[in-house]
Amino acid sequence: MEELMKKTILIIALMFVFAGITIAQTGVKKRRPLPYEYGNVVMNNYSEKAGLAPAEFNHWLHRGIYTCRLCHMDIGFAMKANGSGIKATDNAKGYYCGTCHNGKMLYNKKPIFSACAIKYTQEDKKRCEKCHSAGKDVRKEYDFDVFTEKLPKERFGNGINWEKAEEDGHLKLIDFIEGISIKRVAMKIQPDFILNSKVAGMPAIVFSHKKHTVWNGCEVCHPEIFVGVKKGATKYSMVEIFEGRFCGVCHTKVAFPMTDCQRCHTEPV
Amino acid sequence: MAGIMVRTRFLSVCSFVFLILLMFPERSIGFWEFPPALPPAEHGNIIINRISEKNGVEPVTFSHWIHRLKYTCRVCHFELEFNFQVNTTEITEAANKAGRYCGTSGCHDGKTVFGHDNKKNCNKCHNDDRSYGSDRYAELSAFPKARFGNLVDWGQALDKGLIKPQHYLTIKPRSDAGFGKVLLLEAEWQGIPAAVFSHKLHTEWLDCNNCHPDIFNIKKKTTKHFSMNRILKSEFCGVCHLNVAFPMNDCKRCHPDHPNLKE
Repeated sequence: MEELMKKTILIIALMFVFAGITIAQTGVKKRRPLPYEYGNVVMNNYSEKAGLAPAEFNHWLHRGIYTCRLCHMDIGFAMKANGSGIKATDNAKGYYCGTCHNGKMLYNKKPIFSACAIKYTQEDKKRCEKCHSAGKDVRKEYDFDVFTEKLPKERFGNGINWEKAEEDGHLKLIDFIEGISIKRVAMKIQPDFILNSKVAGMPAIVFSHKKHTVWNGCEVCHPEIFVGVKKGATKYSMVEIFEGRFCGVCHTKVAFPMTDCQRCHTEPV
Repeated sequence: MAGIMVRTRFLSVCSFVFLILLMFPERSIGFWEFPPALPPAEHGNIIINRISEKNGVEPVTFSHWIHRLKYTCRVCHFELEFNFQVNTTEITEAANKAGRYCGTSGCHDGKTVFGHDNKKNCNKCHNDDRSYGSDRYAELSAFPKARFGNLVDWGQALDKGLIKPQHYLTIKPRSDAGFGKVLLLEAEWQGIPAAVFSHKLHTEWLDCNNCHPDIFNIKKKTTKHFSMNRILKSEFCGVCHLNVAFPMNDCKRCHPDHPNLKE
């Protein structure tokens, strides 16, 4: 008797799970972020628990000044929002954001405001809002339109051709911090290669190491995202990429999005 | 004892049936609801009113058929980043004047066609009149006929060269051959012929990204979700084929009797 009841409950519970999965499958378009929203990351490991708004990080502002490699390798930021679990004390001790945001390091001859002091006055609270601004109407020091005004434009993502902006000298990317980064002799840039498509009629991808190493060096991608070493060692499909793996680690939310298929699938059939 | 046993069993059977229905909402019994048919000259005409009335101007009438005479869907929905759902694109007067959305160079920029520079032009769009532009419907009289929607077979009109819509403004598709795979989608009901989907007929108008991966996620075995009930709720094919592209009243257009498969 009890056995039967238990079975019934189990079956009902299982069916709710399956029903959930069925409903979760959607066939509509997702909301596309606006140029100034694209690449913005909201971090909320501890913020709200500490009575602050979640911290909002703008990739567009930081990538206009620094390489991806500098933060994601030398400073050690994870590639996923909330993945680093940054604490206020970490920043105050000079890790993560606090590496640069220490009130001493200069950008454009001005000191960069310091992040997360352990002790602070009422007056300092305004400074918290410079980052802890998610969901709040905070006027930021740098305005997207002003900051990107002279940069070459393109469609999708931030609406900025970052690659060209760097090539044309609009951006002078900082890739080294004294005392943090390690000076090494640059490695030889590996040649471009072609990734053939599994489906007939789909143009092949031409992957350029050169375009990627400007921003990432070798170590942002190898060996964690792509094993590298030998061509074909990592197998992946578009489905996995769309789910945020492999190329999708960057090219879904931060680097140019995969809207324009033929930006990568360039080789004529 | 036996009474409780029967009751428990009855209860479990009931919840089983209920949950089966919940699991497969597309299979639940009900009538298919098509959106109300508009006059042919108004099929695809939409009223945009995201912020118009809040700012004291009349809502905008946008006619898809007037625009598709000159441009493919790809130009606006891919290059110009117009969403597929009315009132979700953040079109503003400032953005248009800055050369985005409607005001893109080569479109309503005041040079190619009327722009945002003269107040006389406002009511050409801000008129809250779905039938606005119907006087131009006669321009379509020479096109191949269809049974529903605009009563025009736009696909054939394009293939026969009766219309030559521009397929890009600045981002040229690199491979004109496109992706040629034809899909055969088995119907849910016995006796209904499979739906034939041609990629080529769609890429003549659209970019890959218009459909992938948001609407169709390219995962294997997910085509089983494309049920008529969900399509009629504006998912999958229904994103376009209810209110803009030919409506689904014409069953045989997708479910032909003798599917003619050509790669």
